[in-house]
Amino acid sequence: MFLSSDDVKALTDRLLARSRADACAISVSGGEAQNLRFARGAATTNTAASDVRVRVSSHVGGRVGSVSTTSLDDAALSAALARSEEIARLLPVDPEYVAPLGPQNYSESRRYDPSIGELRLDALALKVEAVAKACAARGVNAFGCAASGRRFEAMATSNGLFAYDPRGEIELSVTARNKTDRWSGWAGVNRLAADALDATEVGRRAAEKAAREDEPVDLKPGDYPVVLEPAATAELASWLIHALDARAADEGRSFFSRPGRGARQGELLFDEKLTLRVDPGDGLAPSGALGYEGVPHRARDFIAKGAVESFYRSRAWAQKTDAEAVPHSASFHMGGGDASLEEMVRATKHGVLVTRLWYTNWLDPRELLLTGLTRDGNFLIENGRVTRPVRNMRFNESLAKLFRKIEALGPSERVWSAFHEGGACAAPPLLVERFSFASRSSGI
Amino acid sequence: MAKDFSLDRALVSDLADLALKAAAQAGASYADIRLGETRRERAFARDDRLERFDDNLRLGFGLRVLLDGAWGFCAATRLDRASVLAAVERACANARAARTVQAGAIVVERHEPREALWRMPVEIDPLDVSAAAKADFLLSVTAAARDAGADFCTAWLNCEREERLFANSYGARLLQSRTRVEPAFEATAIDRASGRYATRESLIPARGAGFEYALACGLKEDAARAGAQARQKLAAKPVTPGVMDVVLDPTNLWLTIHETVGHSTELDRVLGWEANFAGTSFLKPQMRGQLRFGSDLMTIRAERSREGGLATIGFDDDGAPAEAAEFLIVENGVFKNWQMALGQAHHVGLSRSNGCAYADDPTALPIQRMPNISLEANKAPCSLDDLIGGVEQGLYVIGAGSWSIDQQRDNFQFGGQLFYEIRDGRLGEMVQSAAYQGRTLAFWNSLDGLGDETTFRLGGTFTCGKAEPIQIAPVSHGAPAARFRGVSVLCTERENA
Repeated sequence: MFLSSDDVKALTDRLLARSRADACAISVSGGEAQNLRFARGAATTNTAASDVRVRVSSHVGGRVGSVSTTSLDDAALSAALARSEEIARLLPVDPEYVAPLGPQNYSESRRYDPSIGELRLDALALKVEAVAKACAARGVNAFGCAASGRRFEAMATSNGLFAYDPRGEIELSVTARNKTDRWSGWAGVNRLAADALDATEVGRRAAEKAAREDEPVDLKPGDYPVVLEPAATAELASWLIHALDARAADEGRSFFSRPGRGARQGELLFDEKLTLRVDPGDGLAPSGALGYEGVPHRARDFIAKGAVESFYRSRAWAQKTDAEAVPHSASFHMGGGDASLEEMVRATKHGVLVTRLWYTNWLDPRELLLTGLTRDGNFLIENGRVTRPVRNMRFNESLAKLFRKIEALGPSERVWSAFHEGGACAAPPLLVERFSFASRSSGI
Repeated sequence: MAKDFSLDRALVSDLADLALKAAAQAGASYADIRLGETRRERAFARDDRLERFDDNLRLGFGLRVLLDGAWGFCAATRLDRASVLAAVERACANARAARTVQAGAIVVERHEPREALWRMPVEIDPLDVSAAAKADFLLSVTAAARDAGADFCTAWLNCEREERLFANSYGARLLQSRTRVEPAFEATAIDRASGRYATRESLIPARGAGFEYALACGLKEDAARAGAQARQKLAAKPVTPGVMDVVLDPTNLWLTIHETVGHSTELDRVLGWEANFAGTSFLKPQMRGQLRFGSDLMTIRAERSREGGLATIGFDDDGAPAEAAEFLIVENGVFKNWQMALGQAHHVGLSRSNGCAYADDPTALPIQRMPNISLEANKAPCSLDDLIGGVEQGLYVIGAGSWSIDQQRDNFQFGGQLFYEIRDGRLGEMVQSAAYQGRTLAFWNSLDGLGDETTFRLGGTFTCGKAEPIQIAPVSHGAPAARFRGVSVLCTERENA
């Protein structure tokens, strides 16, 4: 259920007026979404769903109780309010208690085109049809998902804050597999409006990678120069930015903890080409305006020219350490460079081109050691040319080492993300001299 | 005892009738609807503070129609007549749109329609326990870990209940309620001088149960052990990597079963329906009944009715009874059967699915998901000491740590919480920074020692992810301790060298 700012304001004003707590914060979120999945070029499942959620947090004597409901009925909302107050009164006093925020200035985030709300499943079916044709033209099967939706996040507090943050998107991701099921390729995009999404082009890109008849080669596990396409780079960078938790660093529970005490803020830990930025006004990957706990997202470098500039920090920890509260962001923009992906390939004598990664997970977060596998488009580079498919492999690679020496970066671009996950990421193609493949996989 | 259903039974029953009648009038050859509520309570403590307490109630319905041989689905977080009627119209429009890009007509089998009421037995309704009692419980856990040597400890208690009415156009009316609890923690010890730290997560599994389980599961005692062990891990030597025999504790093995066997035997993956996200499988349709998945000791069973199971329920979200999801997946090492949801069986020449559907919310589309899946214990006596006694040089792994597996469920790599050397048939000193890596078939064929019932334990997770948009499913996996020969063990510190 996509409520307007005025509708949300009327609802939150009504609820805040009924609160008997010391203070109260109300979050409202909701939206509409639809998707159409397909396999072998034909529809499999589809959904259309609308949802809404009201979360009431009552503050009583330094304690906070929260209750949420999907019902907008007056009685249900009053019950949620009463229950949140009851919970708060039962809890122990929080030694790190913080009161709800007052009015804030929020940046404008351009993440919503109202036309997205008019789309129905027939519009997605046309995209799927275009993908199927593009893949069929290359003799490969198309699998994937087309989706669209619009959502809002809103927050109001008894201390005067009100914020409303809408977003909308159409997305398409395609996995193409050759007819023998022995090789695959992938491509995906997100767009603000349906007419900006060229489904034929997405299908063509995925098919181009999958349309290989030659048997994939097995590489011996070891270190190789690797060219990572933007989706793969973004996957790695997302783990890095999520590791920038101020509390963990300050408490000595993080790679970013300084031996002795404190966080490694300002230290040059990575290559000077590495910049990770969050910005509601970003042209490629805008973050939302409204951050966790109502703290505004501001244009901010988390890593600038290889040095850690910012950590995300909860309001409670910010209060305790007398530092700025910084909301965590699912969106980020990793800065790019001038090299094209083709130039990176040309500069590689014997290496691997990686399309995307799968099942990444910390192997040892103390050293930012990440594991995962390549997927849907892994190719051998020989003497500056992409020559043939390389069977997928598992990597065990420290992000600290990987991002310490970057050979080249290409232009950053928005990479695909699932609409329901909410984040928008932009990342460049990346060339590194050493990437550690630990074992082989037969997974295609 | 748990209270009666919170749902307004008359309301959801009327709405179900309304939806199914309207779907039939619109020309649907089949329709089903799930209506209900999910209550999720989350309490989270950090060291000496109760950081968050959230009580979430989500109402809604999801309607699925089969119209002109195509599926259409529509859902909303509402329970009213206007929303249901609008959903019928939208679901039918979706089916017509999907039909334009569909190869052939969808075929579904008919489950015998039943009218039934099923409720998971619990002694203490966890949602009736006060916030104060839960706060006390969690703060006692964090205190126990810190008193025993941890510098930090977070602890959480998740309590959930799903109440749902399933109705379909064949006449099924199934009202069900299931409850689950997840008591857990993570203890951390730090060495400020070196900047190193070590963590030890809870070894207590989530359960399909009431608050009585949280009280009796020994979380506080485990936290005390964890506090000391986290500190011990800081000083433990790194594992010496290499190919060696491993003995896996059931607190570790459940996750390996989940990833390598649970997911690889899902038929929708084999059909390519998850190829774009969750992945496919190394298994092919013709392998059923033929493939040697593991050694003779390996028998893996789907068990929908396992007591305490997170996926235990009377009927699945297609309306299939629990007995349908009681079957062998692997018997004495031979792959026997797929997990299937409605409309999948005929793709591999079978007549009917086997009760493996789940929608993580009434508003979610039911898809194939795991019932509880467990490795059977050895019927002959075999203790943990017996397993360790058969190892010259190896590693004993306790608890689930880092996990990752390829999208066809072949190449896996798993960590753990605690590692101990095995030397000459005896448990040696604690080591750290270990993980084991393998390929699914080779690994299961290297199983040469299986613990008996005395070593059996039920593990599980609240949060198995699959599908687009992603759905999160709870599922349990039971396992005895087991021994695997010639497994590749790596040292994470050397991986970073």
